[in-house]
Amino acid sequence: MRKINTQIYQLLMFLIFSFLSSCSVQQDTNTKDSIIYLTQDVPVGLNNDGPAASIPESQIGIVNLQDALIDYAIDTDNIGEVRSLNFEKFEGRLAKEWFFDKKNLTWTFKLRENVISCAGNELTADDIIYTFARAKSVTGAAPIGWFLSSVASIKGFDNEVLSNPGARKLGDEVKKIDRYTVEIKQSAPNKLFLPALSTFGIRVFDSIEAKKNSSEEDPWSHNYINNISLPGFGPYCLESWSKGNEFIIKANKNYYRGEPRIKRVIFKRIPQSSNRFIIMRMHQADIAYGLTPREFNKLSEFNGIKVVGITGNQNLFLHMNFKTPPFNNLNIRRAVAATIPYKWIIKNGYFNQASIWRSLVPSRYPGAESKFDLKWNGIDKAKEILNSEGYFSPEDLLVYKDSFKLSYVSEKEDILAPIATAIRTEMRKAGFPVELDPIPLTQYGDRQLVKRDLPFAINSEEKPIVVDAGYAVQLFFASADAGGVNNMVNYSNRKVDGLWAKARVSEDEEERFKLITEIYQYLEEDIAWLPIAEYKTRWGAKENINGFVWYPDNGIRFFDLSMDSK
Amino acid sequence: MWKFLIKRLLLALFQITFLVIAVFFLIRLLPADPVSRFVGMNASKEAYLQAEMSLGLDRSIGKQFQGFLLGDKNSLGLISGDLGKSWVSGEEVTQEIKKFLPVTLELITLAFIFAAGISIPVGLWGAANPGGIADKGTMVYSLFAGSQPEFSWGILFIFIFFVYFGIAPGPLGRLSPLTEAPIVITGAITIDAILAGRFDILLEALWYLTLPVLTLAFVLSGPIIKMVRENLIQALQADYILYARASGISSMRVARDALRVSISPTITLIGILFGYMIGGAVLIERIFSISGIGQYSINSILAFDYPAIQGVVLTISSITLLIFLIVDILHALVDPRIKL
Repeated sequence: MRKINTQIYQLLMFLIFSFLSSCSVQQDTNTKDSIIYLTQDVPVGLNNDGPAASIPESQIGIVNLQDALIDYAIDTDNIGEVRSLNFEKFEGRLAKEWFFDKKNLTWTFKLRENVISCAGNELTADDIIYTFARAKSVTGAAPIGWFLSSVASIKGFDNEVLSNPGARKLGDEVKKIDRYTVEIKQSAPNKLFLPALSTFGIRVFDSIEAKKNSSEEDPWSHNYINNISLPGFGPYCLESWSKGNEFIIKANKNYYRGEPRIKRVIFKRIPQSSNRFIIMRMHQADIAYGLTPREFNKLSEFNGIKVVGITGNQNLFLHMNFKTPPFNNLNIRRAVAATIPYKWIIKNGYFNQASIWRSLVPSRYPGAESKFDLKWNGIDKAKEILNSEGYFSPEDLLVYKDSFKLSYVSEKEDILAPIATAIRTEMRKAGFPVELDPIPLTQYGDRQLVKRDLPFAINSEEKPIVVDAGYAVQLFFASADAGGVNNMVNYSNRKVDGLWAKARVSEDEEERFKLITEIYQYLEEDIAWLPIAEYKTRWGAKENINGFVWYPDNGIRFFDLSMDSK
Repeated sequence: MWKFLIKRLLLALFQITFLVIAVFFLIRLLPADPVSRFVGMNASKEAYLQAEMSLGLDRSIGKQFQGFLLGDKNSLGLISGDLGKSWVSGEEVTQEIKKFLPVTLELITLAFIFAAGISIPVGLWGAANPGGIADKGTMVYSLFAGSQPEFSWGILFIFIFFVYFGIAPGPLGRLSPLTEAPIVITGAITIDAILAGRFDILLEALWYLTLPVLTLAFVLSGPIIKMVRENLIQALQADYILYARASGISSMRVARDALRVSISPTITLIGILFGYMIGGAVLIERIFSISGIGQYSINSILAFDYPAIQGVVLTISSITLLIFLIVDILHALVDPRIKL
């Protein structure tokens, strides 16, 4: 009996030992070919017209699996820890060259030959036709391809498409000339044409593979692309996808720009930023995105890990609704501006990884002028302005206390709550009855986009994805009648609308620049938005990973990266 | 027995129907708009309207409800067992629930096995020697374990065992990201690994599940120990036990009878906790990066993904009602005084 007990004990110890040994082997997560990328979520969908297209993680999936006709060249003059793009210079991607016929408003694209998709199909003009026909079909949940094509003034991609099913068929506005040549016609001159083509919303599909996965009910393969895979000619191919958990891509060996140096990327969903931080700290992953400024700062202190960043297009501004008194009063907006603790926000909100935003366009964009004047500065100045308006004590402003509920997206509580609290503290010193009002993103979106009734908010969500100061005007500041898209503060200025109408169709680069500069002068004088800070887009990475490039969608392109041997 | 079952199933059907109707209308009363999330903040009014139409939200609420029950262009309807497609992912809600639910069931089942395996003997031990050191120790432990929510223990355990001592895996989910998961059959990775004959993956999954399971078991064992101990003490002091002892019945037999009587409330507690934890394990899932039904439901709620919210509520409530039914049947089996 005793012998049997001893044997059982030995077996038990052996099992425990084997278990722990096997586990400790599993903890070594680094290999030469694969990297682990920690992210708040993995792509929810891969369809640029699908329900998940506005989610940044989905866009990262799309831009790594598909390629565009053209894109900006990488800026070779300013090489920092993260390189940027040269927004003055386009270079071919799937298109090797292109020409513009001004007279006929027609663009001709010559495609590269021998570009092979992940499914083994060759890129031809049919793929471009398919891509635009799909966008024009507006059959997806969110017609983003159509929207960006209309921003680019592609002929036929107008509002009629949405109201008239007969207008949804692609005509000769996108025409195949030969196997490797297509023509795209515009309805009007528009400088946003090439910038729009570089976005995630107009990436080229492998039409043969897409059609293979279509059905009678779903001729444009939305179900397949939402849930199974994305047929494309990009640098990576999808290896496996477990929604809500993991997304693995592997290098496209046939990629026309050369096989990516990072052979395999494992996107791992780690919803808590603090967990992404500790996993990086313990060297169990290679790249992490979406940490708080404090976590990034802390992470940079650990050996073998670096934090890289660049001031791209992420910013913070104060939203004051022109339809909600007292924000319809310019002097009230000036008084609010005078209270903003810019330096505190930069130092304590962003740990010095931000700078004061002095424009209404990301300063990296062409046409951005850094001249927003902070002449209204200080609590005394704010009080002086309020006195001049007849508000002598805090009680005088209580009538507007509902307007002074300072909203922000509660999902960004970690970053925005301290900033909102600092703003509230300073504004109260001047007599403004400010209360904090964190609300969920969906509710924020409803009030901002649909109801447009948010009186007062701090906003860190807005970034014009098309790199153009004019596009930012169209997006945020033009009136609805003048083609404005998301004028969330209900700003309306006929002069701005008039100038934008001219700038929109201007073919003269210099004249357009002058018109847009003039627009921004009005916007700044009116404090259409109150810009506060531009903060860095940052990644935490192992020291041996190099080659980070910043793109306007803030999505990492793994093709750019390389990994030094350790 | 059958009469009881039919009565309970009819009651469950009534409860679920009420819940479905309530959830359908209540989520539509919330002051938020799901369309803006799908088209993005910078979409044009026209794009917004198109998205609204594609989601079927341009119809009256009555028509939407009719579509939800009887089917429309997006689904065959609840009557046909179709919960529709998620507005976020475009995937069938039924498929998504099939994917996420087993993950949570696996996590909490392991936690309950672990918790019950420790709590019942410990509770018995404490009850056998009331007032003794072991009893005092178990009381302190049960109060200590239950004094803080599970997420704070989870964070603490990660810090101690992963960051500080480095003896536990990181909060990376159920497997190392570099390990290829076995083919999904049941969705529970431990079972799928066994079915695939991959015992290396089974071990690894158990390893990665150690901390989340320990955390849950640590918190759950507190109330279970207290419940076992107190009920057993009461049972041991009951007149019929005293009578049994006085009659000279063996102490083993007496203890077995006392346990049978006292275990009934514990089964109820475990049943209630299990039902609660299906949705309530969300914080543990989040902290340990486990994609279970709790995470899915929270994501659906934050995205105002109506079909997914409806599907999750329906599923969780059905399972909870089923658990309560099983608890009732177990009561009858354990305690002969209870008739169904």
